This record gives sequence, structure tokens and C-alpha cells, in this order.
Amino acid sequence: MAHKSILVVGGGVSGLTAAIEASEAGSEVYLVEQKSYLGGRVAQMNQYFPKLCPPNCGLEINFKRIKQNPRIKFFTLSEIEKIDGVEGDYTVTVKSNPRYVNHNCTACGKCTEACPAERANEFNYGMGKTKAIYNAHEFAFPMKYVIDGSACLGAECGKCVAACEYGAIELDMSAKSFNLNVGAIVWATGWEPYDAKKVDYYGFGRHQNVITNVMMERLAASNGPTAGKILRPSDGKEVKTIAFVQCAGSRDENHLPYCSGVCCMASLKQATYVKSASPDAKVYMFYIDVRAMGKHEDFYTKVQDDINMIKGKVGEISEDPETKDLIVQVENQLTGEIMKETVDMVVLATGMAPSTSSALDTISYDEDGFIVSQPGIFGAGCAKKPLDVSSSVKDSTSAALKAIQSTVRR
Amino acid sequence: MDEIKEVSLEMREYIISSGAETLNWCMQCGLCTNLCPYRQVPGELSEVFNIRKMQRQGQLGLEGFDDEEVLFACVTCGMCQTNCPRSVEIIKNVRSMRNTIVGAGILPSHLRPVAGSLHANGNPWAGPREKRADWLEGLNVPEFTEGTEYLLYVCCTSCYDTRSQKIAKSVVKLLQQAGVSFGVLTAEESCCGETIRKIGDEELFAKLAESNIKLFNGKGVKKIITTSPHCLYSFKQDYPELGGEYEVMHYSELLSELLKEGKLSLPGEIAKKVTFHDPCYLGRHNLVYDAPRELLQAVPGAELVELDRTKNKSLCCSGGGGRIWAEVPFGERFGELRINDAVKQNADVIVTACPYCITMLDDACAGLEKNDVLKVMEMSEFLCESLEK
Repeated sequence: MAHKSILVVGGGVSGLTAAIEASEAGSEVYLVEQKSYLGGRVAQMNQYFPKLCPPNCGLEINFKRIKQNPRIKFFTLSEIEKIDGVEGDYTVTVKSNPRYVNHNCTACGKCTEACPAERANEFNYGMGKTKAIYNAHEFAFPMKYVIDGSACLGAECGKCVAACEYGAIELDMSAKSFNLNVGAIVWATGWEPYDAKKVDYYGFGRHQNVITNVMMERLAASNGPTAGKILRPSDGKEVKTIAFVQCAGSRDENHLPYCSGVCCMASLKQATYVKSASPDAKVYMFYIDVRAMGKHEDFYTKVQDDINMIKGKVGEISEDPETKDLIVQVENQLTGEIMKETVDMVVLATGMAPSTSSALDTISYDEDGFIVSQPGIFGAGCAKKPLDVSSSVKDSTSAALKAIQSTVRR
Repeated sequence: MDEIKEVSLEMREYIISSGAETLNWCMQCGLCTNLCPYRQVPGELSEVFNIRKMQRQGQLGLEGFDDEEVLFACVTCGMCQTNCPRSVEIIKNVRSMRNTIVGAGILPSHLRPVAGSLHANGNPWAGPREKRADWLEGLNVPEFTEGTEYLLYVCCTSCYDTRSQKIAKSVVKLLQQAGVSFGVLTAEESCCGETIRKIGDEELFAKLAESNIKLFNGKGVKKIITTSPHCLYSFKQDYPELGGEYEVMHYSELLSELLKEGKLSLPGEIAKKVTFHDPCYLGRHNLVYDAPRELLQAVPGAELVELDRTKNKSLCCSGGGGRIWAEVPFGERFGELRINDAVKQNADVIVTACPYCITMLDDACAGLEKNDVLKVMEMSEFLCESLEK
């Protein structure tokens, strides 16, 4: 007898979609997310392309659907330890890591005021810090604080416990493992930005004003480290000249051999952030080819008139040691001229690498690390291939259908 | 813009048939041109030499790729090739394009004596064959026989050039100190042929390689130690296709192993700040980065500092690809940038591990009049100083 329930691994937009669609079709769904909140990378985006609307409203609708739906049970701060069994009958071991904060939390924030320890703000890709007890971000769902165990000073400190009026903090909380029996699994663990440090000639990590496209989303976001002002990291100066460097590791046999398919649109979109903040800003986009597929062509033709599009893969990026300005060297492939442009900031358009941090024997991966579906276990969204948000949503809806079929096959 | 030229698909096919199998993989992104060391120097050649354009001319069989000045400018440092997004074998393409000209008997005038000497004497330095083993004088090095473990193959440069002979002698001392079983066949050897192949003379390369392979196989050579990374490259990458298969290592690789096994000790203190210039053919072409650093750091008192461009980003000395014989105006030589960088790092000594690099860096150091603050040394010489103290 097949189990009727479905496990969805990953609580980003793909996992949320698969979970909600399957549960709204009548399945019992368990949703497991590694982070302390649902929403994944989409929650870190400022705007979607091409409509330039914020992702929060879409996420809010999904969270509302989860709250109204008794058939979805979700676990944050959790990861998959083991998968046994076959299609229709899996036993999955889930490890639930401690939040150190219980259901009493009202997100009043007194604990954070009292906390003396700090950690890098991972939600902002390391730009700025949070306290060891923190709210992941202002739209976090569930809206509960969390303690970073590696930064927390522990029970000897205990200042947060004293500050909390609701008895919400339990510093002795520990990890627990439990088993789930499910008939199908949707694997939607998403993607990671390719490590820009590996493209060493671009100087990321050495030159302060070389950032990545995901960091740019946080700089432009009103709940980001600069409250939405596009200021460069070295001195907080408003960015007046900027270079978007496409294919920073993508379409490259030494890095990611594939095209992620979203970075051109992301850079064009980010060019609009800069232009709307300061219309006289000089924006360069250096590319091998612009890949604005399907109906995105319109957005591309509209934005390209406002910026300087240069065909050519950027070679070296060097830094003026005094001003921290960046000198971008590129050969313009249309004129053959070797250009050296000085800019305030460089945004590397890094591609999407699959999240394989929780690699398990039972899951199959292709040569690039993306999941390969098998009977009963279905990849969805960017764990399967690089996709934009709307394509991820469609892909995850289809994965939900495949998962439902696995639960009723026998 | 350039004037419009005739496309010749026949020429393209000819270039590809000469070995440029990956020519059409190039997508013309231009990363190669930007990472090319010519971008670091001023001058006329830097203005005209564009490796991306050269690939394009090859792809289209366009006339113009055979412009001697441009065609023979590439130093084969491998910076473009290691980073090429499409894994285009750019150096092989350059070699093939050169071969279409050189194969027809046309060689730039400055390279003609080199090829002539290789034909006549088996070395590029116009050294008489009977003097090839002169560097061995005063050293007690046995001839290689079946019972010997390693053949020590000494680069032509270190056989004939008096400055470079010191490298061969120092390597011998270090190997002897570590108790390595090795012998030489210097008198009967010919140039490995690495550089003439890069220059595009396939025929001459094959002649040299075949004579060495016949010698090595006849003597029962299984393992080879080279003094130069260029010979290392040739034996490892070029010889197998001609039937010469050996276990080949650069002396630095063997010495670092012996150091770890406790068979080589470097007792004497050298209290100096030392920096290492990665030879392109040791680093990018053979991926040996750690061995020389481990050896330098084993010398008591020596403090290793890194140059600005180091390891896989090392800046070429410009001695590869036949450029060691090119006349380059002062102020446009890559070696000068290396010397200035070493001075900037306050290094007392710039150490490298290649006879070509030594020639180029020596010239640059003297030209910049930096000999009073910076010493150029081959690694074996530096290590020997520690032995002798």
C-alpha cells in the first residue's frame, strides 16, 4: 500500500509551489527547509524581471495558502539525513536543528537589543552584521527570531533570556531526528550563486567594489544593508558609473560550462535600478551574447537604449589603490578597440550552481551537479536546471503532478 | 576598421589540418586578448598583437595572419589558454598557423640561425656538438646505464651558455647530496625540440625528437629528470605521440619529494627575502606550483614573499615560443615588470626555475640597473648556497 503523503525538500519558491499545488490537490505534504524561514533566494530579490515588481506579494500569497491549508506541515532549520525505500514507500530521516527560540516569540526584538555577539548577515550576502539572535529579515515566515549557535556566547551570557518577556528563548534546545513515511519526494533545493572568487582575474574578494549580482539585489532592496541606496562598499559613495560583467564564470569550461539563462535579464533589470536612482549614471554592460529569451526581447530592447552595451568578455579588473575605483579592460568585439573604462563599481553576473550541499546517495545528479529525476523522486526548479522564477513555478507544478502519480500508482 | 580581406576556406582547412583542431571552438569573446601579457607593456608590438584576432583570421583563412611580426609574437605563456572559456588550444593553433608558413620554408630572419644550428649541431645556440658535454668537466657524473634509475637531461642552454652551466652543475650537486641514482647522456643528446615546435617547424622537431627517442630507448631510459621546464613539457606532452614514453619530472619535483623523505637536507641559513617567479612551462603548462615553494621555504632563514602576479596568474618572462631570440626594445620587455615587482616586494632575491627565465630576468635586472638591490638566481643555485654554508 503506497503512502499518500509527499515530501518536498526545499522551501524556496519551487518547493513552496510544489507543496502548495500538491496539497491543494488533496495530498498530505511535508515541507522541509534548511533555513529558518521559507521563501528561499526569491526573498532576497529586490524586483522580478521583466515587470519590476517586488517578490514579496507573491511570497505572501503562498504563505497565506500554507497557513490556510491543514494538509501542509513544514519544518524550518531542518535537513534530510537519509532516504530509504522505493517509489510509493519511502522512509525519510529528517534532522531538525535547534532554533533556540520557541513558539512564544512575538518578534518584539528585545533580545536583539540585549545580545552582545555579532555574526555576518548572510541574508545580505555578508554585507553588514546581525546580532547572534536575530530576525532573518523583515518579511521572514515564520516570523520568529533565531539564534546562530556558532555566534552565540551561550548560557553564561544569557542576556537574551533575561530580556525576553515571553519565555521564548531556550538555549538548551538541541537537534532532533525523526522519520517520515512518504510515497514521493520533490527535490527543490534550489541554487547557489557561483563562487565569484574562483574567477580570479575579476578580483572579487580582493577589490572591495567588485560585487556580485545577488549582492546588487540586496543593495537595491529597501530592506537591504543600504536601505535601497546603491552605494559602493569601499566608501559608501553613490554609484555614478557601473559595469555589469556578464558570464562571470558562466559558459566557461573552467567554471560553469552552461548558460544560466537569467543573468542577462538580471543585469538589464539591475541597470534599471541604477538608472532610476540616478538617471545620469553611466551604465556599461559587457557581454558575450545577450540572452533575453522569448518575450524578454522587449525588455532587452527597451533597456539597451539607456545604457552602453559593449560586446566583449571582460578580461582583467584592476583597482586604483588610492580611490578604489575599478579599471575594466575589455576588447570591444565590434570595433576591435581595447577599452579601459574606469568605474565606481563592478557587478559580476555570476551564474547559478545547483545546491548540492545535502548530497545523498539516493539522489542522482548530472555532470554539472543538477538533480536527475527518478521514479518517486522528482527534481523541481533550479535544483534541476537553471531557471527564472516563473519557469521554476511552472516546473514545480509539473513536479507536484508527477509526485501525486507516484502516491497513487499502486 | 581593418580593410576587407579575402576569406579562404582552403587556408582554414589547411591550418586545421596542421593541428589546429580546436580553432573553430573559439566564440570570439576576447578574454584571451585581455589576459595576454602584451596588455601589460607599451609599444608597437603590443598595439598590433591580438591573439583573439589571430584565431579569427585563422578561422576565416584571412590573409594577414601570416604577418611575420604578429605571427611570431606569441610567447606561448598559456595565460589565454588556461582561462579560455571554450578550452580552445590556442597555442596549438598558433603553432599550426606558424607551421603553414614555416613548413613552406619561410622563417623570420632572426630564427633562421636557430633552425640552422638545430639542424647542424642539435642545439639552437650554435654550439659545436663535441662541446655539448663540456659543462660536466670537474664533476663526477657517470654515464647513464641500465642500472641507473634516472637520466638527467640538461637543457641545451645550460650545456653551452656559461651563465646557464651553473644551473646544470647546481642540480648535479643537489642530486648527489640526496643520493639519487642518476647518469647523463649529454654528449649524444639533441635539443628536446620544444621551442622549435612552437616556432612551427614540425619537421625539425620530429627529427630531434626521433633521435632522442632512439637514444633513450636504446639505453633503456625509463625515468628522466629535466633541468628546464621546457624539456619537461616536450618529453611529457610531445614525445608520447612519437613513441617516447617516460616518467618525466622537473628537478624541483624530485627534490621536494626527497626533502619530504628526509633524503635532502638544506642546512645552511640564508637570511634573505626571496620571491619566486613561476616559469610558465613549470606552472601553467605542467601545474607544478608547490614543489619550488616547499624547497625555498625549507632553507633556514629564507622568507618567501609572493609577487603580484603569481602561480597560475604568473606573468611570463617572454622567453617562450621562440621569443628568447627576439629583439624587443627596452621598456617593452615583460621581464622588466617582474624585476620591478620583485623590487616593490622588497625581495633580496628573485628565484626562478627555468634557464630561459634566468636569461630574460638577468637581462631585465641589468637593464633596469637593479643588480645592487636584487639578485636573480635559479632555484638550484639558491639551494646549493644553503648546502655549501
